[in-house]
Amino acid sequence: MAARQPFTDSDAADEAVRTTCDDATTCKRFATSQGYWKDLHIHYFVRNVGERKAPEINRGYYARVKGVNLLLDEFIKKTECKCQIINLGAGLDTMFWRLKDENLLPQKLFEVDFPAVVAKKIHNIKTKPPLSKPIIDMHSTDSLLLDAHNLDSDRYCIVGADLRDISSLDEKLKKFHLNPELPTLLLSECVLVYMTPSQSSNLVHWAAETFHTAMFINYEQVNMSDRFGQVMIENLQRRQCTLAGVEICQSLDSQDRFLTTGWDHADALDMMTVYSMLPQQDVARIELLEFLDERELLQQLLQHYCICWASKDKLSLGLSQLGF
Amino acid sequence: MSYFFSDKDYENAIKYYTEALDLNPQNAIYYSNRSLAYLRTECYGYALADATKALEVDKNYIKGYYRRATSNMALGKFKAALKDYETVVKVRPNDKDARMKYQECNKIVKQKAFERAIASDEKKKSVVDSLDIESMTIEDDYVGPKLEDGKVTVQFMKDLMDWFKDQKKLHRKCAYQVIGFAHVVLHASPCLLLIFIFTEKITVCGDTHGQFYDLLNIFELNGLPSETNPYLFNGDFVDRGSFSVEVILTLFGFKLLYPDNFHLLRGNHETDNMNQMYGFEGEVKAKYTAQMFQLFSEVFQWLPLAQCINNKVLVRFMESWPLKQKPEFLRNGRSISKRGVSCQFGPDVTERFLEQNKLDYIVRSHEVKAEGYEVTHSGKCITVFSAPNYCDQMGNKGAYIHLRGSDLKPEFHQFTAVPHPDVKPMAYANTLMQLGMM
Repeated sequence: MAARQPFTDSDAADEAVRTTCDDATTCKRFATSQGYWKDLHIHYFVRNVGERKAPEINRGYYARVKGVNLLLDEFIKKTECKCQIINLGAGLDTMFWRLKDENLLPQKLFEVDFPAVVAKKIHNIKTKPPLSKPIIDMHSTDSLLLDAHNLDSDRYCIVGADLRDISSLDEKLKKFHLNPELPTLLLSECVLVYMTPSQSSNLVHWAAETFHTAMFINYEQVNMSDRFGQVMIENLQRRQCTLAGVEICQSLDSQDRFLTTGWDHADALDMMTVYSMLPQQDVARIELLEFLDERELLQQLLQHYCICWASKDKLSLGLSQLGF
Repeated sequence: MSYFFSDKDYENAIKYYTEALDLNPQNAIYYSNRSLAYLRTECYGYALADATKALEVDKNYIKGYYRRATSNMALGKFKAALKDYETVVKVRPNDKDARMKYQECNKIVKQKAFERAIASDEKKKSVVDSLDIESMTIEDDYVGPKLEDGKVTVQFMKDLMDWFKDQKKLHRKCAYQVIGFAHVVLHASPCLLLIFIFTEKITVCGDTHGQFYDLLNIFELNGLPSETNPYLFNGDFVDRGSFSVEVILTLFGFKLLYPDNFHLLRGNHETDNMNQMYGFEGEVKAKYTAQMFQLFSEVFQWLPLAQCINNKVLVRFMESWPLKQKPEFLRNGRSISKRGVSCQFGPDVTERFLEQNKLDYIVRSHEVKAEGYEVTHSGKCITVFSAPNYCDQMGNKGAYIHLRGSDLKPEFHQFTAVPHPDVKPMAYANTLMQLGMM
């Protein structure tokens, strides 16, 4: 029997990062309960609506979800679903079920996260038919691979891995039939910032090396060198959560890591700009859901997050045209 | 012109429609389109005004009814919105969207009517009148602060602040006493307070928003309130920060101790709608009872709205003219606040107002400022905000103002946030309460 490993500082740091998955899920759960957007499956992962979140938080998550989905859906439509998606640090995301409902499922959706998070996700899927049935429906044979840290089916694969260990990540994905020839979209939401710049650089570089036609969407902090950013860093520190990669989040310019790691084209917008570019009829609708007493709070929040998207386009699909 | 809409550039759209209206003031479409732009930028008050104007110009312009209904929904005026949706549905019976909005609005109106109906089953009489504080008893094992012979003393206040600092609860009887006595004092004071200071200074503070530990810090930096150290707190004492109960009881306590030297003005968070949404109601219910919240609610209604110092400086929370007054819609003048719930004004109006009333400048609060204060309109309008690192995330400084009777020149003092126990902002905001703004 293996000796019990001591719980190190880095374990604590990783654990703190894993709990951010819960933050995101509970915030999304609350926001969807208020009608900000529809997510018919999130309640299978988080039963209770939980405590109220401030209106600016709900609007912030709305901007994030709508912004990311806009780019994601554009990519899928551009490739007519003949593509792959790799969601890095996917947490308890309900993307698979949304895309299936909207007939936008790619050839295969891969999700990667820490084994502990993946285990939780798989457990929920195993025990809830509304989650497992759609996966089984999309699978050609009678049985699919389903163990504690892995799920593999024809169209959906969930893998437990450490994104800092690129060779292991590569091996695992290829084991589950990752196809480097297919146009591939990689997505990371508040993931890269938790690794060191060199680790995230390696990951982004690996993606550029592995796929000839691809897009990378990254959502995370930006403009972190001001007072608001400092307070955010301090608040997270207090929860033992270190933003190891925060130096890349100084400004939209410093997010140019994509261009230096093998990507041909890159764009970035802060979320205030993204918010103003989302379909405004729906924005008007959600702004009526809750009265926001201090608009400055939303502005500050949105100005400290950004979406970056990079592409390389050997198949000349016109990927660099995708945007807001 | 419409390319600004497709570009989602609402600010520019507003600018250009405004110019167009200057040339063509009887154009309903311009008003309606500008109303839409205002809706998108959340300026519901402006949106309502424009929609109304569009219909004044052309009462058959259906889009105008639509816009007005949307604006009214945003402002929580559901009955008014329903009437307009009804009009649209009558004229456009096949419009699915209009029908859906009508039905949703109808649901809300019905629900509110139901809530009102069941509320009136409960006693409508005031909590203040029906409260029987005398019969409440204090258990022997309560070792916290108590009023001495039913009076607030300096010792009581010091003990109270220490007690609160340790996150302990004031006995509910004492809390009821403080709030009840505060009601008496506020009931007797006018809506506009006139005070005069001579050689001494007065300290004017802005929003404190339940940030009790930062309030203690203000007293640390600036001295405890006393006859020779008068204070004015300009509204928004509660909500967002999760120590709102401690803040308001402390402020009421000092009001009772120094009724002529400690002043409180009403902010927009001293209202039911805000308290339901932003945590104060939840906090009072969690720490005490729903009845106590009712009491606070009644007492808040008696808070004065403004204070005039030496007939020269006017302090009030925000740009709130009496809402009964129908404001003229002037671009550069006095107009409906973009938030739709009050009025706002440009520098020329400030100038005129000050001149007509022989005032030097106004002080207001209500908006977070990075430096804790801001001076605008060439020194005629000052904002002061005293909740540093607002919501534990803004990183802003807090500030307070010293005004000396001798010259009334504002002297600004800034301060930063101090640590507080681990209770997050909005910790008591109730998930079940919504303003129902669908």
